[in-house]
Amino acid sequence: MAIDAKFIGKAYPSYTYEVGREKIKEYAKAIKNFDPHYLEDDFAAKSKYGTIIAPPTFAVVYGAYLIEPVFNDRDLNLNMAMLVHGEQELEFFEVVKAGDVITTGAKIVHIQNKEKLDIIAIEVQSKNQHGRDVCRGIYTFVVRK
Amino acid sequence: MAIEKGQTFSGSEKVDKYRPIYYAGASGDFNPIHIDPEFGKMVGLGGAILQGLCTLAFASKTVTDWAGDPGKLKRLKCRFSAPVLMEDTISVQGTVTDVQSGRARIDLKVVNQNGVEVLQKVEAEVEA
Repeated sequence: MAIDAKFIGKAYPSYTYEVGREKIKEYAKAIKNFDPHYLEDDFAAKSKYGTIIAPPTFAVVYGAYLIEPVFNDRDLNLNMAMLVHGEQELEFFEVVKAGDVITTGAKIVHIQNKEKLDIIAIEVQSKNQHGRDVCRGIYTFVVRK
Repeated sequence: MAIEKGQTFSGSEKVDKYRPIYYAGASGDFNPIHIDPEFGKMVGLGGAILQGLCTLAFASKTVTDWAGDPGKLKRLKCRFSAPVLMEDTISVQGTVTDVQSGRARIDLKVVNQNGVEVLQKVEAEVEA
């Protein structure tokens, strides 16, 4: 069944995520990124950031808390068995540090029905505890029919 | 480092057998197509496939390693165009296409060992 375009603009409740130092290290190792900015406390303390920072793509870790409710949205009724990640766009602002508290909101910005597939895009915006932007992402998913 | 139009850089990453498991644990993406080879075969993928965002993280690493400071990366986008399987080797080649108002635009080619583009339309912007 086609995704109803009336859901364009639908917003989801924001989620607040506290960035853990060890979670950053776990993520960095998982992506095989051994940059000392992410892994070495002493190096990080002497860096211009003064502490461990998150890799830019860590944005998808806290961003995921806004994608899950879209996937589970019974109104949208996405066919998850046929869903694939089509495109990803990330725009980075202030660097995310260990201990930051990131609040993220999301809304559906695009729905398109084609003959053999549907496309849905979700915009995710994150701010830190100072109210400053840290990341804006667009997740585009394709649902084959 | 002065970034100039035409500069190139590269990197590569081997996808070891357990990479999607590590990535699932760190990211929360436990979709069975990534961690269950039997399920991957059943849905026609030929086995478990790596999370696309992990491949994008490999591409991102190539850029931030080159830039020297992760905070310089300002934008990153891609299309997920082909599955990445275990034991694949992903090669990333970046080319600076433009430098303007303090921003360098970079096109990235991200291919597997057979030259297949696993990501397409891969673009990054870094502070120049």
